[in-house]
Amino acid sequence: MLGENAITNIGSRAVAVSRELGGITILFAQILRALVPPRLDTRELVKNLHKMGNRSVPIVALTAFFTGGLMVVQAAPFVQRLQATSLAGWAAGYAVLREVGPILIALMFSGRVGANNTAELGTMTVTEQLDGLRALAIDPIRYLIVPRVVSMMVMLVCLTVIGDLIALLGAMLVAKAVLDIEFGIMYASFVENLAPEDFLHGVYKSLAFGLSIAVTSCYFGVTVRGGAVGVGRAVNAAVVAAAVSVMLLDFFLTYLNV
Amino acid sequence: MIELRDVGVRFGARAVLEGVTLTVPRGARVGIIGPAASGKSVLVKLIAGLVAPTSGRLVIDGADVTGMSEERLAPVRARIGMLFQNYALYDFLTVEGNVGFPLVRRGEAADVVAQRVRDRLRAVGLAGSEAKMPSQLSGGMKKRVGIARATIAAPELVLYDEPTAGLDPVTTSKMYDLLRADHDRSGATAIAVSSDVAALVTFVDTVVFVYQGRAHYQGPAKTVADAPDPVVRQFVRGALDGPLVG
Amino acid sequence: MSFVIDRIFGTISAVGAYAIGGVRAALELWMVFVGTIAGIWRMYGRRGARRPAGALVEQMHIIGNRSLLFIVVTIGFIGMVMIYQACLQFSRAVGDLSQVGVQFLRLIVSDLGPTLTAMMLSTRVGAGIAAEIGSMKVTEQVDALRMSGVLPVDYLLVPRFLASIVMTLGLSILGCAIMYGAGGLTAWLSFEVNPRVFFDVSMVRPRHLILGLMKALAYGAAIPIVSGFCGLRARGSSEGVGWATTAAVVGSSFAVISIDFLLSVGALWLLGGDL
Repeated sequence: MLGENAITNIGSRAVAVSRELGGITILFAQILRALVPPRLDTRELVKNLHKMGNRSVPIVALTAFFTGGLMVVQAAPFVQRLQATSLAGWAAGYAVLREVGPILIALMFSGRVGANNTAELGTMTVTEQLDGLRALAIDPIRYLIVPRVVSMMVMLVCLTVIGDLIALLGAMLVAKAVLDIEFGIMYASFVENLAPEDFLHGVYKSLAFGLSIAVTSCYFGVTVRGGAVGVGRAVNAAVVAAAVSVMLLDFFLTYLNV
Repeated sequence: MIELRDVGVRFGARAVLEGVTLTVPRGARVGIIGPAASGKSVLVKLIAGLVAPTSGRLVIDGADVTGMSEERLAPVRARIGMLFQNYALYDFLTVEGNVGFPLVRRGEAADVVAQRVRDRLRAVGLAGSEAKMPSQLSGGMKKRVGIARATIAAPELVLYDEPTAGLDPVTTSKMYDLLRADHDRSGATAIAVSSDVAALVTFVDTVVFVYQGRAHYQGPAKTVADAPDPVVRQFVRGALDGPLVG
Repeated sequence: MSFVIDRIFGTISAVGAYAIGGVRAALELWMVFVGTIAGIWRMYGRRGARRPAGALVEQMHIIGNRSLLFIVVTIGFIGMVMIYQACLQFSRAVGDLSQVGVQFLRLIVSDLGPTLTAMMLSTRVGAGIAAEIGSMKVTEQVDALRMSGVLPVDYLLVPRFLASIVMTLGLSILGCAIMYGAGGLTAWLSFEVNPRVFFDVSMVRPRHLILGLMKALAYGAAIPIVSGFCGLRARGSSEGVGWATTAAVVGSSFAVISIDFLLSVGALWLLGGDL
C-alpha cells in the first residue's frame, strides 16, 4: 500500500515535470519565432532594461561583495599554513569568476527580477490583461515577453560583470582586514593568475542563466491559474525551476568549456 | 454600547477618516453607506480593532479600547463577530473547521462545537455541508458560511462588511431575511456596510452616510431617500447631477 | 551648476531614505523574531496552551520532505562542479590530487554544505511561506484570525519556524553528504582519484562541525522569519502576493549570505586564522 502510493506520487510528479518542461520548450520556440523579423517594442524594452537592471544593482553589489570576501575567508587557512599570500588572490579570483560569481548573482537575479517578472505577468494573466491584448490583435509574446527575455539576458550579463568586479574588490578588502594582505599583492595575484578565458567563461554562463531564468519566469507567469494564491504558487515554481536550471546549466557548461 | 469620539485614521499623509463621532446603542441596527473609497470599510475595521485610530477614542461598553494591544483586546473581540468583504474563509479548513474555529479557540469540547456548528449551518441554510472545502462553494454559500462563523459564539455585536456584494437580487433578499431572523432572535447589535442601499434599508433602522472621510449624515433608514441633505439624496437615488463629488 | 547640486542632494537623500527604510525594516524584522520566540513560549512553554493540531508536523513535511528531491538534484550537481574545478586547479598548481577530498570535506562541513543547501531552501521554502501567508493576508484570513483572538505570529509563524530549524538542519547534513559523495564520484570518474584517498575525514575537526551546525541553525531560523515577515506585509491583491514572494526570496537569500559572511569572519577572527 505504501509502495503503491509512493510510485503513484513519483509518477504524477514526473508527469507534472514533463508537462512544465514541454510548456517551457514551446514558449522558447515561440520566442525564437517572434525574433525572426526582429521587431521589438523599444519602449517596452527600455522600460524593462531599467526596471530589471538599475534597481538590481544594490542587492547584486552587496551579494558580490560578501561573496568575494567569503572566498578569501575560505582560502585563509591554506594561505596561513603555506604562507603563500599570492594564493589568496588566485583562489578567490578563480572561484569568483568561473563559478561562485555567476551562480550566486544568477540566483539573486532569479529571486529579485525573475520572481518579480512572474508576479507581474501572473497578475496580468489573472486580471485578463493578456486576453485584452489579444483582443486588440497584439501578440503578447512579441509585445510583452520578448522584451523581457532580452532585457533579462542583457541585464544578467551586465550585472555579472559588475558583480565580478565588486567581488574581487570585496576579496581585496577582506584580505586586508582579516589576513593583513596588502592590496597590491592581491591585485598582482589577480593579474598574474586570472586569464580572460576565466572571465569569459563566467560571462557565457551568465548568458545561459539569463535565458533560462527569463524563459522559466515568463512561462510560469503566463500559465497562472486561480487568483492571488495562484500567483504565489507560480512565483514559487518559477524560482525553484530557475534554481534547478542554473545548477544543471552550470554543470554542463563547466564540462564543455574547459 | 459603541462610541466613536472624534475618531480619525491617517495612512501616512492621507486622512482616510476624520472627526467621526458616532454612537451605536445596544441592540441597534446601523447601516453605513457612502461612495467608494469614502472610508466605510476602514470604519468597520476600526470598530473591530483591526485598524487603530490615529486620533480620537473608541469606547466599547464604557471601556476605552483605543489602541489596545492584541492580547488585551481578546476579551472584547470575544463578544464581536465579523463577516469580511471577501469572506476570509480559511482555505486550509473544511466548512466545519471554519465555522467551529472561534469555539475551538475558546477551548469548547469537541462534541459541543460539532452540535453548534450543525445548528448554525442549518440556520443559514447550509445543512450537511460540513465536510466541504471553501474552494468548492459558490460566493453566496461562502458568505453564509462566513455569517455562520461570525455568529456561532453568540456575539453581542456583529459587523458585516458588504454582506451582499456580488450576489443576485434573490440571494440578497434571502441574506437579509437571514440577518433579520438572526438578530430578532439574539437581539445583538448590528453594523452593516453596504453599497446596495435599497436592500440594506430593509434590515437596518439607522443609516450613517460616510462621505470624504467624515460621518456626513445620520438618520432613519426608511426615509433616507428623502433625507434633508442633498448629497445623501443624490447618492441614494443614484442621480447623476447634484452636489456629490467623486 | 545648481542642477548638479540638486542631483547630489537627490542622491544623498535617496541613499538616506534607503538607509532609514532599511533600519526600520530590520527593526520590524527583529520584532517579528522576538514575537515568534515569545509565541513558542506561549504555545509550548505554558500549561494549557492551545496548539493548532498537527501544524508542526505538517510544516515539517512541507518544508522537509517536499524539498528533498530538489535539494538532492541541485546540491549533487553543484558538488560535482565544485570538485571538477578544484581538481583542475589542484592538478595544475600542485600536481597532486590526494589532498582534494580531505580539504573539500572541511570546506563542505564548515561552509558549503549548510550554505548552499540554505540558498536552495531560501528560494523554495522562502517563496512558499511568503506565498501562503501573503495570500492569507490579502484575502483577510489573517484579520479573521485576529478577530478570533489568535495572534497570527503564533498560529502561522511558530510552526513554520520550528519546522524550518529542524528540517534545515537535517537537509544541511544530507546536503553535505550528497556534495561529498557527488564530488567523490566526479573525482574518481574524471580524474581517477582513488575513492579511498578522497573519502578521508581526518582533517575535519570539531570546530568545523560546530561552525557548520551554527550556520545551519541560523539559516533555518532566518528563512521563515524573513519570509513570514514579507508575507504578513502583503497588501493589495495578487500583486501584493507577488511582491511579498519576491521580497521573501531576495531577503532570505541575502540573509543566508550575510550570516555566512558574518559567522565565517567571526570564526576566523576568534580562532586566529586557524580554521
